[in-house]
Amino acid sequence: MTAVLERTRTSTPAGRRPRRRGGNGGNYLFLLPAILFVAVTVVYPLVYNVVQSFQDVGLKEVINGGAEWVGLANYADQFGRGEFWQALWLSLAYTVGTVVLTYVGGLGLAMLFLHRFAGRNVMRALLMLAWILPTVVGANVWRWLLDGSYGLLNAALRGLGLIDGDVFWLGQPGPALVSVVVATAWSFAPFAMILLVAGLQSVPGMLYEAARIDGANAWQQFRHITLPVLRPVSITVMLLIFIFAFKTFDTIYLMTGGGPGGATLTLPLYAFQEAFEFRRYDTAAVATTLMLLVPLVLSTFYFRSLRREETA
Amino acid sequence: MTATRWMRGENVRPVVGVVVTAVYLLPVYWMLNTSFKAQADIFERPPTLVPVPPTLAAYQAAVFDDPDIARGLANTAIIATGTTVLTLVVAVPAAFALARLRLRFVTPALLLFLAVQMIPAVNLALPMFVLFGRVGLVNTYAGLIIANCSLSIPLAITIMRPYFLSVPGEVLEAARVDGCTTFGAFLRVALPVSTPGVITMAVVSFLGAWGEFVFGLALATGDELQPVSVVIAKLTNAFGTRWNELMAVSAVVAVPVIVLFVLLQRYIVAGLTDGATKS
Repeated sequence: MTAVLERTRTSTPAGRRPRRRGGNGGNYLFLLPAILFVAVTVVYPLVYNVVQSFQDVGLKEVINGGAEWVGLANYADQFGRGEFWQALWLSLAYTVGTVVLTYVGGLGLAMLFLHRFAGRNVMRALLMLAWILPTVVGANVWRWLLDGSYGLLNAALRGLGLIDGDVFWLGQPGPALVSVVVATAWSFAPFAMILLVAGLQSVPGMLYEAARIDGANAWQQFRHITLPVLRPVSITVMLLIFIFAFKTFDTIYLMTGGGPGGATLTLPLYAFQEAFEFRRYDTAAVATTLMLLVPLVLSTFYFRSLRREETA
Repeated sequence: MTATRWMRGENVRPVVGVVVTAVYLLPVYWMLNTSFKAQADIFERPPTLVPVPPTLAAYQAAVFDDPDIARGLANTAIIATGTTVLTLVVAVPAAFALARLRLRFVTPALLLFLAVQMIPAVNLALPMFVLFGRVGLVNTYAGLIIANCSLSIPLAITIMRPYFLSVPGEVLEAARVDGCTTFGAFLRVALPVSTPGVITMAVVSFLGAWGEFVFGLALATGDELQPVSVVIAKLTNAFGTRWNELMAVSAVVAVPVIVLFVLLQRYIVAGLTDGATKS
């Protein structure tokens, strides 16, 4: 959410800043603790992790040190493993599914809550609850809603006559993946809504006016005015959601633990399992290093799109 | 035709709004509903939509009488408070410097802080487990607070900086002319007028650490220091079908978040919408 704050506020015209007199070494002291902190707790561990991916690191090496250099052996090991490719594939499926569902849901909510009506602001704020609720809470509630025997979803489906008996959504590969996507999108969509409402507000009302005069129906207006004008905001939202979803660990871990039978074992869970269950810190480092590439590449796109918007 | 009416329909909209909001927040309601039910009532088919009669038995059993959960809540409170304090101390001056002081490398520093927010927590938790182990930080409050801060400080800086940017430069200049040091101008002039920003970033840091899971799972190896999120995850199987108790614990974890949100949503949501619309 802050990425967005940053994007919009940096565009403050430079002229509004005070003229600052000569460079002062003391000024850096304000920034130094933060830079040092990030260097020690983020940059160094990340670099260390990459180094580990080229070494032979088990529990013994973690405790005693003295890990041996093995070159690309860990990478070769991972690339030759079906589990790794399955985790990567599941990560992409989960992420793309979440992006699509979040975007569609967020846009729907945004269209509904765009116009003024009584209680709109309160409702919009209430929806944000889903976004700020701790994931451990959300994940457990969803597990309960989806419970095969006594869950609310199945009770409703039984009432409608759509199912007969118990359906264990989290106990079957396909439905489990869909379930974690739905739970994730549920918490992300209000966030997308807030950004998309802002985007929708920037669509000039004149355009709709003109389209109505030309006899365009609601769908045509949406398709040919709303979506094209909304495009830059849509891209930003999708990129952010992609990055958020790709790194999701807790929701999945808490709902399915990666199961059943590895059917929701996305890359972050796979890496965690390698390290903390199998004590293979080296191959876990390979997985996380590769995991880092995706947000890295996407953030480059993101920053570039920000710059384009700023210069526009 | 109905679609067009719906798009314009001023009368229908509030009704649709209420229905959509209610359905959307059904999971939250269901958590509360279940948490007030007696054990036997959760197995009713179809489930009852309101807990009759409501009982606090689940809260009693799972929260107050369970030392693990109570300790987990205390740990979470300690970790979240520590994270918030450390984040404020480190991030506020940095945000001020990046907004208001003459520095080189402002843009790279901002990009660094922005990029850190994209990093999966797992990517940090794994090497941290190894590195913290060497310096005795695994299974300590300090280690957990530092780990949480690694992600909350960059986030806080990006939240805080726009507030300092909106402090009129003349005010700071005037303070300096009056003999204030840079630090004095920051402390006595810039900081007081940026209180909403400080509140926003404190709340966001606190909420982030309150719900944090990955670092707790990786770095709190013993039971004594585990945050409540990890305790719940560990007890999930132990809860079995005692869903009312699991929902009671979940509700207790959610309550501080909901209370802070209700009290301060003006800061949280307004900050978000503001930020997003000003482009």
